[in-house]
Amino acid sequence: MLPISYSLGNVVARPGRSLVLVTVVALVVIACSLFLGLLTSLRRTVGLTGNELNLVVLRKGSDNDGASQITTAAYDSIRYLEGIAIGPAGERLVSPELVVQPFFRTRTGGRENVLVRGIEPTAYLVHDDVKIVEGRMARPRLGEVVIGRAVRGRYEGAELGETLEFGRGRWRVVGVFESDGSSFESEVWADAQDLASDARRMNPYSGVRLRAAGEDDLSALKERIDSDPRFALEASRETDYYAKQAETSASLTFLVVAIAVLAGTGAGFGAANTMYAAVQARTAEIGTLRALGFPRAAILISFEVESLVLSVAGFALGALLTLALAEVLRFALGGIAFGARTFTTQVVTLSIAPEDLAISFGLSVAIGVVGGFGPAWRAAKLRPIEALRKA
Amino acid sequence: MSEPSVGREPLIRLEHVSRRYVRGVDEVHALEDCSLEVSQGRFAAFMGPSGSGKSTLLNLVSGIDRPSDGRVFVSGQLLNELDEDELAAWRARHVGLIFQFFNLIPVLSARDNVALPLLLSDLSRAERTRRAEIALRVVGLEHRVDHSPRTLSGGEQQRVAIARALVSDPDLIVADEPTGDLDAKNAEATLDLLRQLKEEFGKTVVMVTHDPRALRFVDQVFHLDKGLLLEGEEARRAHDALALAAGGPVRAREV
Repeated sequence: MLPISYSLGNVVARPGRSLVLVTVVALVVIACSLFLGLLTSLRRTVGLTGNELNLVVLRKGSDNDGASQITTAAYDSIRYLEGIAIGPAGERLVSPELVVQPFFRTRTGGRENVLVRGIEPTAYLVHDDVKIVEGRMARPRLGEVVIGRAVRGRYEGAELGETLEFGRGRWRVVGVFESDGSSFESEVWADAQDLASDARRMNPYSGVRLRAAGEDDLSALKERIDSDPRFALEASRETDYYAKQAETSASLTFLVVAIAVLAGTGAGFGAANTMYAAVQARTAEIGTLRALGFPRAAILISFEVESLVLSVAGFALGALLTLALAEVLRFALGGIAFGARTFTTQVVTLSIAPEDLAISFGLSVAIGVVGGFGPAWRAAKLRPIEALRKA
Repeated sequence: MSEPSVGREPLIRLEHVSRRYVRGVDEVHALEDCSLEVSQGRFAAFMGPSGSGKSTLLNLVSGIDRPSDGRVFVSGQLLNELDEDELAAWRARHVGLIFQFFNLIPVLSARDNVALPLLLSDLSRAERTRRAEIALRVVGLEHRVDHSPRTLSGGEQQRVAIARALVSDPDLIVADEPTGDLDAKNAEATLDLLRQLKEEFGKTVVMVTHDPRALRFVDQVFHLDKGLLLEGEEARRAHDALALAAGGPVRAREV
């Protein structure tokens, strides 16, 4: 086999030609990693939301909070069911919630739907990943709200101590909460009664979230709620509910895969072109190596290695630029807004995961190996006598 | 299948060898019905004008090309029966090649160029380096081991190429116009070096050249013209003409 220094030496010997291919691959890596990063960030945000032991109870046929309404009687039929977990002070972990989706004005002058959740104090026990990190909880009947981390600063008035305007009223921001990056962080939480009267809702609740005491209790509760003919309710596991919301990104996935395939194919042709030029320029050299006794496989491998070195160098450059770019985007934009299926805005913080880069790495390797194969094969097939005549 | 190599068996034996190829619509008869022998430890030259078939003959002897007809034996091996990769492996073991334009690999140092054929052996890296450095010492370039070909003169590059041909200790060293791209001084030095390979290392050296100076260094000359190996009176006439051009006593007596 030819030494790796031969392939590396040739990469360095023609810096202009090498740089073109490295740049092309780097651009593909940047495009793919950013799109993939965005997609996985969105999935992570939505997918992180929910607790395995929580049930979301909505009116039958509603696929999200915003489209559901339940009566007080329906809520009363649920809250005392057996199998519901009990909190530290003996309270039943049932959280009736009202969801409205008003427009908020962004600080940059746009308008976005934001999910405002009206809650009772038990909400913090059912959604126990939600933690007030600044300020305090909102007190009932006072027009106070707490805002998610992703909402903060994005909209006019969305800052601790400032006042938000939505619906018919003005709402004082008294706290900021986090929930480990889940989609709750894109919400505003108000008192359920305050919100119901502001929204002039007849039924004060959209649905109920409850915590089951255990896995068996969860199944029994679901069965019980689903089969009660009086109120036409439907219970689903909270994690399943959010996983379903994440399906919004399926068409986006297709788009990203299509972009990756198209860009990768383009770069593959780039690699082939570069390597064909290399074979053309080094025909006599290939003839010499074959004449010296190197088998066809050695020539094939050395050109494949050369192509691979270039594409992996392209990946390295692209990955560095992607990470830098993601940092800049995070700094400049704060978060990236997605319209979720509920028509509310999901604010996603872009972060490039190792898996996103691993996929781009795979793509780069494929560009190098597949793009380099044709030229390498041509080089390997050259008969020494003919190749030497090119000297 | 290799023939037994015994006693006075010649290192090279060609039996009625022809080489024809198609160029466009024409069939070119590069070499016609050529039979010859070169014994072990001889320094032989194939000479003749351009298009005489001397390079074709050299390519057949070194196993770079295959005959259309006839049989080529080198070191007891019938080359006709080897496929492309077997032939490559055979060349790596038995033949050292020297080219007119040196054909060094530009991205490798002199040492790595010389060590190149040893990559096809089982030798350790340290042993390959050691042998490459010895070969470079033989050609007087021990002070240039780390230089890249670009920084060497033409004469030095050809000496690196000779070291590369020598390093794997082949039976046969084959040189195609080794002085063709060199000035008079370097040409003489190269011919002298090739002669030393024969005298000091017992190598069989076969060279293509139309340099009349070669006559003073070789033992044996084969004259070719228009694809035919000249014999008898024709060969003697060609030889005399070259000897005159060489302007001095010639070593080659056999024609």
